[in-house]
Amino acid sequence: MTRERHYIPESRQREKPKSKYFAIGHSMKRVEDTRLLTGSGTYADDVSLPNMAHAAVLRSPHAHARIVSIDKSKAEALPGVICVMTGAEAAEVTGPCADFSSPPTTQHCIAVDKVRHVGEAVAAVVAESRYIAEDACELIEVEYDPLPVVVDLEEAVTSTGDAVLHPERGDTNVALQRTITFGAVDEDFAAADLVIERRLRWPRSGGTPIETVGATAHYDRGTGKFTIHANTSMYNYVGWLIAVSLKVDPHRLNIVPTDAGGSFGSKLFCHKVCTLAGTLARAAGRPVKYLEDRIDNMTSGDAHGSDRLYDAQLALKRDGTMLSMRLKVIDDYGAYFQYGVGQHGNAMAQVTGPYGITSVEVDLTAVLTNKCQQGAYRGFGSEVGNFVIERLVDAACEELGLDPVEMRRKNLIPKDAFPYIMPTGNMYDSGDYHAVLDEALGMIDLEGWRKKQAEARKEGRYIGIGISTCQERSVFSATEFWMWNPNETPGFTLSSSPESVSVNIDPTGKAFITLNAPFWGNSPETMAVQVLAEKLEMDPADISVGYADSDKGFNSSGPGGSRFTVMIAGAVSGAADVIREKMLRVASHMLEADPSDLEFRAGSIGVQGVPGKEKTLAEVALHAHYFRLDLPEDHDLTSGIDAAYVYDHPVTTMPSEDRSDLGIFYPIVGHMCHIPVVEVDVETGKVDFLDYVAVHDCGTMVNPMTLAGHVRGGTVNGIGSALYEHFHYDESGQLQNALLSDYLHPTLMETPVDIRVGHVETPSPFTEYGIKGGGEGGRMGAPPAIAAAIEDALKPLGVKVDSLPLTPKVLRGMIREAEANGGG
Amino acid sequence: MKPPPFDYHCPETLDEALALLAEHGEAAKVLAGGQSLVPMLNLRAVHPEVLIDINRLPGLDHVRIEDGELRIGALARHRAVLESPAVREASPLMAAAYPYVSHGPIRNRGTLCGNLCHNDPASEMPAVALASDAEMMLQSASGARTVGAEEFFTGTLSTAAGADELLVEVRVPQAPAGQGAAFHEVSPRKGDFAYVAVGAVVSLSGGACSGARIVCAGVGDGPHRARAAEDALEGAAPGEGAFRQAAAAAADSIDPGEDFHADADYRRDLVRSLTRRALADAASRCH
Repeated sequence: MTRERHYIPESRQREKPKSKYFAIGHSMKRVEDTRLLTGSGTYADDVSLPNMAHAAVLRSPHAHARIVSIDKSKAEALPGVICVMTGAEAAEVTGPCADFSSPPTTQHCIAVDKVRHVGEAVAAVVAESRYIAEDACELIEVEYDPLPVVVDLEEAVTSTGDAVLHPERGDTNVALQRTITFGAVDEDFAAADLVIERRLRWPRSGGTPIETVGATAHYDRGTGKFTIHANTSMYNYVGWLIAVSLKVDPHRLNIVPTDAGGSFGSKLFCHKVCTLAGTLARAAGRPVKYLEDRIDNMTSGDAHGSDRLYDAQLALKRDGTMLSMRLKVIDDYGAYFQYGVGQHGNAMAQVTGPYGITSVEVDLTAVLTNKCQQGAYRGFGSEVGNFVIERLVDAACEELGLDPVEMRRKNLIPKDAFPYIMPTGNMYDSGDYHAVLDEALGMIDLEGWRKKQAEARKEGRYIGIGISTCQERSVFSATEFWMWNPNETPGFTLSSSPESVSVNIDPTGKAFITLNAPFWGNSPETMAVQVLAEKLEMDPADISVGYADSDKGFNSSGPGGSRFTVMIAGAVSGAADVIREKMLRVASHMLEADPSDLEFRAGSIGVQGVPGKEKTLAEVALHAHYFRLDLPEDHDLTSGIDAAYVYDHPVTTMPSEDRSDLGIFYPIVGHMCHIPVVEVDVETGKVDFLDYVAVHDCGTMVNPMTLAGHVRGGTVNGIGSALYEHFHYDESGQLQNALLSDYLHPTLMETPVDIRVGHVETPSPFTEYGIKGGGEGGRMGAPPAIAAAIEDALKPLGVKVDSLPLTPKVLRGMIREAEANGGG
Repeated sequence: MKPPPFDYHCPETLDEALALLAEHGEAAKVLAGGQSLVPMLNLRAVHPEVLIDINRLPGLDHVRIEDGELRIGALARHRAVLESPAVREASPLMAAAYPYVSHGPIRNRGTLCGNLCHNDPASEMPAVALASDAEMMLQSASGARTVGAEEFFTGTLSTAAGADELLVEVRVPQAPAGQGAAFHEVSPRKGDFAYVAVGAVVSLSGGACSGARIVCAGVGDGPHRARAAEDALEGAAPGEGAFRQAAAAAADSIDPGEDFHADADYRRDLVRSLTRRALADAASRCH
């Protein structure tokens, strides 16, 4: 394919990777731990305001119905009830929820006229206590006129009439249909010796946080200003859209972040709950807290993950050389379309995986059904792509009689090919995929396991070994959200998707960092502390971290798309440069030396080559804060040592007009190799892990311990996706498992005794210090590896794994069928 | 997820508790460990007007052997039963089943008697009680009566206990000397309610199986005794062939329900394999 458009901007990296670091690369204990592990965190439900009232929501029992009438008189009469709002009443004062699709789907914080999924809000009650609010919900009488329910994604493609969820978008539930071809797909398929074809099903699951989404809103009638405390992210990026929904100017909304905890994407924005709490607080004339309960969150949290059916083809040469892919995919988005097909923009970042495939065609049909809408979930659509391509590779190995390790080794992009432009136009910045593979193979005794597998089979036991070699793109540019839109849609120009921090040095020379995005369960404070300590050669214990609200915050995209560590490292590094320069200037006057002759030593600034001629950071800071005028005249040198720094996306380019090239939009690309060993009990369908190796390359590691934690946690998350988790809707659109007793996560008892983590470090040439993101990796690599291991275990029976999750019932059903067909 | 309003009573004596039950009857629910009741309240799946908290009643937390019976009081927590040497001595089947009962924190609060009264069809202990000919000691303000396990478990979440009655104790006859017992279960995750659980006891007499009891949980509207399987085993020489035959009979004896976790075919498969495994283990433990 032509490469004319494929220019790679010059790197803006300022801090090169080093062979020896002061603070980076150390497995320092998390600075968040003391606060969180002693119960001192402030989560959404910990917020309490004077005179605060509590809200509960009445939810639709119907998947699709017109709201004929709502009688709230009995609820309003209940002692302790302050107000009851229907969707129609809320819509008089509050506009639709924020939505990034084009054209948008209209979603209100309380449904107006029509409900489109079970659990959608129909009315909300504000009362003196949550108890009374829930009692009142039971007293609201709603008459519904049921409409045809659409739950099957293939049926959704053809539904019309009353079965259409959003008739204003046309008489169809197809929200978007588009085929994009990258490279010479037809020619590559014509040149192929064989084409592997699989129908693959990736199930709907989601990030299910321990604390659900919550907001406590206050409306000040005197100033006309809202204050909303919430466990939202992106409040310093697109939080102003909540103000638009509430019909106030953005400066009349202050969003105060609470600790959000691990949410795995599900709290990416949380605009609906913030909008609802704000609407209710304004109506009630009192602060109002609304915290989703578990059923609220599972049925209506706007954060279900991808739900896809693929007809996938891989074209190969007989020697195993992979040439091209054709993917036809239907994705069930549920009842609304908040991020458009952002998840498929995301998947285009690495759709051909780590392999030297030169062309790909993707035929995407996004449909709307009567389910909770999709949101963000760890992987944001790329994890599905990893599953698809790895299943195709394994199928090709089977067909060609090739070894899965050698097949991968043959097709992995070689390390001298980076930076590498993959067929969609995205860039893989750096990598050494063969080194990752070799590291993983070095950690697992493959030969020994193959021997044990053979022995076990003689005893009627089924052991299997799987392998996946997958990409982990990190540091999104917002292009991914709109690149699939119809060309006639008003587009955007190149987005900066920045992250910001501010750093203040106190008069004793110690530092305070302010982040502009919330604590999200990762380790942002630890990352920021380590990077600042590196830059200023400062004791990490002398640095603390806080979080800005949206009144004081700078533009910050927040965590998501495995970008946060890279981006705050860039922002901290930039702020630290400003701090360093000012400290050097102050110190140069104090030491009567030229700034260029000075150096940072651990805890002080001194004259190079002159031991003892130095000032401690405390002395410099004190002088800068209080005694500036004691220093010689120095143009624009002012008191204090403070810096705010906005770090823009390190490297991104625009898509082409016709989208045959999507540009560079997700370029900081890590790699992983997962090798699980499982045993399947063929009588019960239960799967046990006998061993698990996961090797990741996320570039320069800021903290190997927390990164390993991410990998292990993500792997367990991936085990959930592979074996347990599935939002199960029945034919009438009822969510059958809206509780954590039925929606199953793996616990410690279901996970490998030791997920053995290995690291390879291939620094990025584009980010500060060469750091890459690593937050989503485990979940992006585990499902295909586990699927492969199970298929390998059941090879004597001829069982093929084409869908997830492989619950015991499903797996036993596949084995039963294979046995009936004479397998085994 | 907040419970609907209810009145709360916390009697200090058994008589007081029984008087409250007599007064409120169907409108009341007994609160012991609360591990099933409280979630049901929070989900508003039940709307009792009155909760009678029996946690302060004295002398009901015993686990002991008396008159050849294992006696377990209404307030004996799962944790205490699980760890009791009396249980291991008198009821190897219960001892074998207990590791499958829920999770640590739930076992710390939940009670065996509450578990039996709740009669969740996927619960282990009703099946154990059925296999063991346990007797339920019920008391009300108007008197006491004893109900055998066979009659006690009447269907999903229902028992023969009257609205005014309290299960004050369960009595399990001491297992015959030499009997082997085993319990096998498949649940989605460790500690979850079973997809299917199978408990088996068997004795060996003159080289042949005798007096086997085979019970299943998770296969219908309450604990299920697979009599056809027991009959198939009676007098048979212990071994893979006999166990397979009994397992097939057990699988044929059930008419399991379906939900999204497990369909009927899957439950039948599990009864078949778990019965075979349980019998093999039980037979190997005969002495």
